Amino acid sequence: MPDTETALQITDDMRAQIGVESEPWTYEVTTTSVRMYARGIGSEDPIHYDVDFAKQQGFRSIVAPLGYIGTPVYLPGSNDPTFGFPRRAGGPRLDIPFKGLLDGGTETEYFDVICAGDVLEETSHLADLKLREGARPMLFITNESVYKDKATGKVVVKQRLTSIHM
Amino acid sequence: MTHQVFFEDVHAGDEIPQLRKNCSTQQLVQWAAASGDFYQIHYDRDFAQATGLKGLIVHGALKNAFLGQLLHDWIGEGGQIRRFGCSYRGMDEPGQDILCRGVVTKTYTLDGRHYVDLDIWTEKPDGKRTSPGTATVTLPGRA
Amino acid sequence: MAQAAPSVITDEMRALVGVDGPPVTLEVEKTNCRMFARAVGHTDLIFYDEDAARARGYRSIVAPPGFLGTPVFRPGVAAQGPPGAGRGYSVPYRRVLNGGTEYEYFPESDTICAGDTITAVSRISGFEETEGSLGPMLITTRETTYTNQRGKVVAKMRGTMIQY
Repeated sequence: MPDTETALQITDDMRAQIGVESEPWTYEVTTTSVRMYARGIGSEDPIHYDVDFAKQQGFRSIVAPLGYIGTPVYLPGSNDPTFGFPRRAGGPRLDIPFKGLLDGGTETEYFDVICAGDVLEETSHLADLKLREGARPMLFITNESVYKDKATGKVVVKQRLTSIHM
Repeated sequence: MTHQVFFEDVHAGDEIPQLRKNCSTQQLVQWAAASGDFYQIHYDRDFAQATGLKGLIVHGALKNAFLGQLLHDWIGEGGQIRRFGCSYRGMDEPGQDILCRGVVTKTYTLDGRHYVDLDIWTEKPDGKRTSPGTATVTLPGRA
Repeated sequence: MAQAAPSVITDEMRALVGVDGPPVTLEVEKTNCRMFARAVGHTDLIFYDEDAARARGYRSIVAPPGFLGTPVFRPGVAAQGPPGAGRGYSVPYRRVLNGGTEYEYFPESDTICAGDTITAVSRISGFEETEGSLGPMLITTRETTYTNQRGKVVAKMRGTMIQY
């Protein structure tokens, strides 16, 4: 079925946004948020629940499960009400005519362990745009984020996220 | 915050500004996460119907929290919520308006504090009150 | 007056009235205050933004009305519900309704803010039996007292549970 609405091209304006660094946003890691994430993935490892146990194992506090890099500070009007991510100055502004949205993949590189009590500062940029033509064209958008420990400035995590718009 | 309401301007019988809500199923899921109440009748339609309900229903505690917002938004920076609560007498469904309302029942000053008692409730579009309750707040005086 | 059903209140249950249950620890943090405020739809920034809350004289982000913290979750531990849920007696009714909740606050004592650790102690205030349109019912009222890390009582909750 031909659909004229989906005639999308990667424009020069879109391409020009690749590599432009966003303003920083704060992500918080708390004991309740770590436990909630651990429950979400079905883990019962006390390292994610029990502060005393985690400290006995040599950690600062309970350990964030792999994949949990804190919760972005949510301010009404400043964050996406569905996904929670910040809509900050410097972030990409892409006008995409597709209604479908899928998670295309996550790649996370760790440089340190994340524990409850950590406050991280994240910046991100648009890293790549790819259009796959076809009966139902798909736009692949890849973002790269760097998370630093707000107290020390040390890079803790780098993450690449790809979303598929179709 | 914008406007401060003062004790002297409030009288028994006054209605406070209404708060209109309409819960999406998304909001019910957000509330499940925020409250820790993951009972499936609030987000799993098949489960809800298997328990004899017509469909999904709004958490009672969320309606109670809506009444908390109704009060908070009314009393302004200078007011304090002392007590609020409601009972759950009827069900609300997602996608339908929930009107939060309050009417002042009594005003009095005790130990230098200005108290206002209210009837508070949530209301369906047909006027049926699903969560009737009461509240006590304190407001600043003009003096 | 309908014929009264036999009482389901046992001596074991009566002995629980007025007795403090085990303390439950609740955490109030910036993330869970914001999540609660977001779910309700609050617009006042004192529930989201620490600077806005401090500018209004609070220690940190304020817990929105009805939010008394998140119980510390431990996997495999039975009582994960709100403080006082499940107190080791059983009644012959299978259906449960939440009859209502009331919160009382003590702002002169202290305001619940992010960073607080709250200890909640719950006790059953009484059992009552009635006969309604749904048949015989047991109404259980419970009062929970919330004390913060400074030893200040910050809130009380009275809840009504209906079993039938």
